[in-house]
Amino acid sequence: MDIGKEKDAKQNETESFTPSESNVKQVVDFALEAGRILLKNGGEIFRVEETITRICQHFGVEHVDIFTLSHGIFVSAENEEGDVYTRVKHIPLSGAHLGIVAEVNELSRQISENKVTISEAKEQLKKIDQTPPSRARTQVLGAGMGAACFGFLMGATLTESIVTFFIGCFVYLWVILAKHCHLSKIIINIIGGILITLCAIFANHFSTADAVLRLDGMIIGGIMPLVPGMAFTNAIRDVADSDFLSGTVRMMDALMVFVYIAVGVGIVLITYSNMTGGFIL
Amino acid sequence: MTTQQILSNVFCSFVGTVGFAIMYNVPKKYYIGCGLTGMAGWLMYLIVDAQNYMTSSVASFFGAFVVVLMSRILSVRMKCPITIFLISGIFPLVPGLGIYNTVYYIVTNQLTQAALKGIESLKIAFAIVMGIVIVVSIPRDVFHKIYYWYVEGKD
Repeated sequence: MDIGKEKDAKQNETESFTPSESNVKQVVDFALEAGRILLKNGGEIFRVEETITRICQHFGVEHVDIFTLSHGIFVSAENEEGDVYTRVKHIPLSGAHLGIVAEVNELSRQISENKVTISEAKEQLKKIDQTPPSRARTQVLGAGMGAACFGFLMGATLTESIVTFFIGCFVYLWVILAKHCHLSKIIINIIGGILITLCAIFANHFSTADAVLRLDGMIIGGIMPLVPGMAFTNAIRDVADSDFLSGTVRMMDALMVFVYIAVGVGIVLITYSNMTGGFIL
Repeated sequence: MTTQQILSNVFCSFVGTVGFAIMYNVPKKYYIGCGLTGMAGWLMYLIVDAQNYMTSSVASFFGAFVVVLMSRILSVRMKCPITIFLISGIFPLVPGLGIYNTVYYIVTNQLTQAALKGIESLKIAFAIVMGIVIVVSIPRDVFHKIYYWYVEGKD
């Protein structure tokens, strides 16, 4: 290949690689894929960057620069001859699967201990990426459990907690269904808030003289499964690592979800209080 | 506080945290760690909150401090990302009550109360942030060294 052609190829970023370049390409692609899976499933920026650097350096790509945002990774690697390979990957903000984060972490640990080759690692990564989430039934029950217990901790009575269990299950069922239909976050959380409050008001009508079902305990417990704990925690951790840009984006994400839930709860409460002349609230 | 109250708090914070761990697809072998983290944080919160010269945001700070400390120790011990324990463990401290009250007072047009509650929830959120930031900034080697020193000392 003559020099002019190579220069041309580099400018156009078309496919024309010498063996060492293709090695760089393979390694960077693999590392980027690992980073993508981590970021998508709720890893922090710091972990994504560390994993990519670790994989690249282990497989002999010494010069690698990474710039990670909350929803994108930019990787640029250079080989000994000064040829540069760059990839950009967009990763939309999405759900959490902490099991996958743990497994990718384990894989990167194995790589740095020299236990796997790159092709084995690639296969494992593909398998990890396709890990299904736990069964919907289990998740719904977990949400119910969490809702009931935290409702109780926040001062609900035992009966209210039991009602909260069903509210939590019901809300998470809605969340799973809505995610399946690719509804937007705004709709999911506003309607989630509305459903919780409606259920709580409905239960409130069944309260007897000696077992009054107060609204607040049930609503607080019920909103717990919607609370964006992961976005909030990750935002804080990014800020702690001085990744202010990603931290702000994730914090904004968490705050907006709080606002949506509050709007949903508020709409129903205000309508109900107006309907009843304001004396029940 | 009666024994029954203490027991119910211990139980609920444990089970509740495990519930959220299930929601976030945490692998089964980490459930107990998650539960313990959440429980420790919530008990610390209760203990500090019971002192009448402490506000609930200070209590949240200490709660978050314990949660992060514990998740870091567990993550070294069980060789897994700290995120697993941290995210589920922080849930009991999230100011759900404050957020609800803020909305409630806004809706019922008691704006002074709403502002009070809203600022209080913000304070709690900020206290949690401080608790997390302080422990996260401790270098990782410190935890590794202390843990391996402890393990070698025991054998």
